Amino acid sequence: MSDKLKEIINKQKKKDSLSISHLDEVVQLVGFIIGEEEYAVPILTIQEIIKPISWTRVPQTPAYILGVFNLRGSVIPLIDLRVKFGLKAKKHNEETRFFVLKQGNEVAGFVIDRLTMALRLKKGDIGAAPDSVAGDDSKIDGVGKQDGRILTILKVKKLLERDF
Amino acid sequence: MDEFQEILQDFLVESFELIEQLDQDLVELESRPEDLELLNGIFRVAHTVKGASSFLNFDVLTHLTHHMEDVLNKARHGDLIIDANIMDVILESIDLMKELLVTIRDTSADAGVDVVECVLKLDKISGGDGNVEIPISVAPVVVEEISAQEELDYDNMSDEDVEAEIERLLAERQTQDKAKRAAKIAAGESVPEAPPEPSEADEKPKEVAPKAPTPVPTASLRAKAEDAKAAAPTSRTPAAVEQTIRVDVKRLDHLMNLIGELVLAKNRLIKINDDVEERYEGEEFLEELNQVVSIVSLVTTDLQIAVMKTRMLPIGKVFNKFPRMIRDLTRELNKKMELELAGEDTELDKSIVEEIGDPLVHIIRNSCDHGIEMPAVRLAAGKSETGTITLKAYNEGNAIVIQIDDDGKGLDAEMLKAKSIEKGIITEKEADLMSDKEAFALIFAPGFSTAAAVTSVSGRGVGMDVVKTNIEKLNGIIDIESALGKGTSLKLKIPLTLAIIQALLVGVQEEHYAIPLASVLETVRISKDEIFSVENRSVLRLRDEVLSLVHIGDIFEVERILDSSEHVYVVVLGLGSSKIGLIVDSLVGQEEIVIKSMGAYLAGIEGIAGATIRGDGGVTLIVDVAALMHMAKGVKATALVDEGSSTTKEKTKASDYTVMIVDDSKTDRMIMRKSLEPLGVTLVEASDGQEALAILKQGDHHFDAMLVDIEMPRMDGYSLATEIKKYNRYKNLPLIAVTSRTGKSDRMRGVESGMVEYITKPYSADYLSSVVQRNVNFKSEFLS
Repeated sequence: MSDKLKEIINKQKKKDSLSISHLDEVVQLVGFIIGEEEYAVPILTIQEIIKPISWTRVPQTPAYILGVFNLRGSVIPLIDLRVKFGLKAKKHNEETRFFVLKQGNEVAGFVIDRLTMALRLKKGDIGAAPDSVAGDDSKIDGVGKQDGRILTILKVKKLLERDF
Repeated sequence: MDEFQEILQDFLVESFELIEQLDQDLVELESRPEDLELLNGIFRVAHTVKGASSFLNFDVLTHLTHHMEDVLNKARHGDLIIDANIMDVILESIDLMKELLVTIRDTSADAGVDVVECVLKLDKISGGDGNVEIPISVAPVVVEEISAQEELDYDNMSDEDVEAEIERLLAERQTQDKAKRAAKIAAGESVPEAPPEPSEADEKPKEVAPKAPTPVPTASLRAKAEDAKAAAPTSRTPAAVEQTIRVDVKRLDHLMNLIGELVLAKNRLIKINDDVEERYEGEEFLEELNQVVSIVSLVTTDLQIAVMKTRMLPIGKVFNKFPRMIRDLTRELNKKMELELAGEDTELDKSIVEEIGDPLVHIIRNSCDHGIEMPAVRLAAGKSETGTITLKAYNEGNAIVIQIDDDGKGLDAEMLKAKSIEKGIITEKEADLMSDKEAFALIFAPGFSTAAAVTSVSGRGVGMDVVKTNIEKLNGIIDIESALGKGTSLKLKIPLTLAIIQALLVGVQEEHYAIPLASVLETVRISKDEIFSVENRSVLRLRDEVLSLVHIGDIFEVERILDSSEHVYVVVLGLGSSKIGLIVDSLVGQEEIVIKSMGAYLAGIEGIAGATIRGDGGVTLIVDVAALMHMAKGVKATALVDEGSSTTKEKTKASDYTVMIVDDSKTDRMIMRKSLEPLGVTLVEASDGQEALAILKQGDHHFDAMLVDIEMPRMDGYSLATEIKKYNRYKNLPLIAVTSRTGKSDRMRGVESGMVEYITKPYSADYLSSVVQRNVNFKSEFLS
């Protein structure tokens, strides 16, 4: 094997490891709006995003639980994030979407006001949650910055946790 | 190692099966000590276990079974008559055997169980020097019988012993050849690879008959067949072995889940078929579609039944342990009791069979302890000295009924009431209102016990409570009948399966709920005048019973937006031993539903057992009847007719008035808008009835009047008016018809559907404005 070839292979190896570490530092998120704020969740926690469909109310539950809906044969809870975040409920409109989030065996649908975009954020651009809301109980994983926008990154695990 | 584990598994499964059968046989044996068939069967079990355990090197177990075998062998040859004392020792040894098997199952070793004492007792019996031994009186026919221990002396052995020995050797050889099937072959002598068997089988009955005469001479002819049955309960005759296969329950569960999905898809298909039928009436392809849908639906139902059957087990599996229990109780309580079993072949879903055992134990213990009297008391009462408990299972519709009868002293309603008041379970007032049946049901109340003294058998006041909870968990119903001095009869009615159920769909306002049909006793339609209020609770007199009522809307927090009619439907629910009437707005129908969980997030919502998916793709919640009954206690009766809460706010400016314009023509809407704009009122437009209804339902605006065109697509003005009037909130909303229809009948229809004014096109702007002003009570100061 010629030295040149070795050199090329080495170079490629370097590149590979570089790109891997580069990938490592980027987080892919999907942004959405609730009220006035923009939030985001990791793209891999999203099972699907659907337009609003009819649901069935479930009694004896807090107001933010709208009920359950049928997602291709599975019965899935539907949670209104507006109400959950202390805002007034709003009529669903053209832009309303159901975010179906999944973590482990837990699946739930979340109503959001509007979808923004899928984005890649460098790890370095994500700051820790403000001290006042940090901690294990917090639903906030961190705060992302991109092009002057500020995104609140949510902990999907916390969202899917029953808290009533 | 893996192979050893596999053999071990087979050995354990088979041994437990054999022992289950053994318990029953032994109790029977006590009453018929000379029954050779039974003895042979029992002997064979001990023998099989011994053979297999020695192969697997379980020395303690082998040691124990060997001695059991000795005793049984003696009895079999007539050297020993099994009496109660000997039986106690044998039963003790069987208990030890079970204990050992459990230990083996858990630890793969048979250490840790002390068998020495029992072995000594057994030895004493078979050795003949113990005082428990009683020499046999009907033994003259025993020919050249050599002591059972000399099994290896082939020349001097009786035919039976030869057979046993051949069998044992055969078993050993087979285990070495085909280790996996070792245990099976030793027991199931009908396995084809055992060539010497058939000839043995043929010879044996003839040989046996003269040797040990049994009370029923013909019995010996059947001996062989019976033996086989006892040893391998699954095969009826040695010749025709039933082909069976062991399947992991998980696979069956998965199969059942898939069928569930199929049932839902079928429901959906039927619904779509109905819709299509409506839309394309008379089209040719409809017939074909109809055929396909009915075939699919038929096959799905058959498939469902077939899969359900694979999960079914005979209830005899549970019943089998009771003869032994009764026997033990007889000795413990010094009573004379007999257990009669019937319908052991009745089949039930595996999961239910597992759940039903405990409740039955409690019920039977209770019958023995509280129901059946002491022999002396029975004689004094003119009854036979021996009390009889009958355990019976049979099918009734889509359910299985397990009936437990005793001929004991029966339940005393007054005594039960007094006891309950004393214990604070009920108040005196409640007691006065109680029927006898309700009083009987008190025995299921937590903390209740009628036994004066707590015995080891019952009286701790937990047992019957457990019965109720377990039966309710299975959606079952308990029915008690009792006659003082004659006995008590308890009926448990349990649905056949848990996964796919028949449900009654009911409507309340705009919501639907599914109630398991097993819990529905009947439905009645009553007028509101028939509902009485007693102590803040609604009650209904239904025939000669007083039924407490609860509105489903109160339990599930349903908002009353629709006006309720003069009549309501009452669904009478029965569960366990209690009854309640559930008021609903409408009955939708019966449907086959599949229970789906709502996931961990919504698990355990009170009153909801799960959800199901309906034919239209929507989700319907399934009512948890047990929880509902519990919740009903806390719900106060609410007035059935909610007077529409008129939240009309004070109008402070002209734009506080809101009027809806409903017309399909844009021009017409424009004309109306132009006429009303000068007033300054807020105007909302809708282009047809459905849209208007949707806007109303959203509740974004509070409307003071509506202008409605009659002729509109999708939903015309009349239907719109009728729909609107169904809502409590809009009962007093003025509806003004604006139409070019001028016929008298049109006007009449308008009035019938609830229109207050009728304006015919064309009209002047001023006229329309004045009509609207009049109807919304427009304050003159806003007029500019």
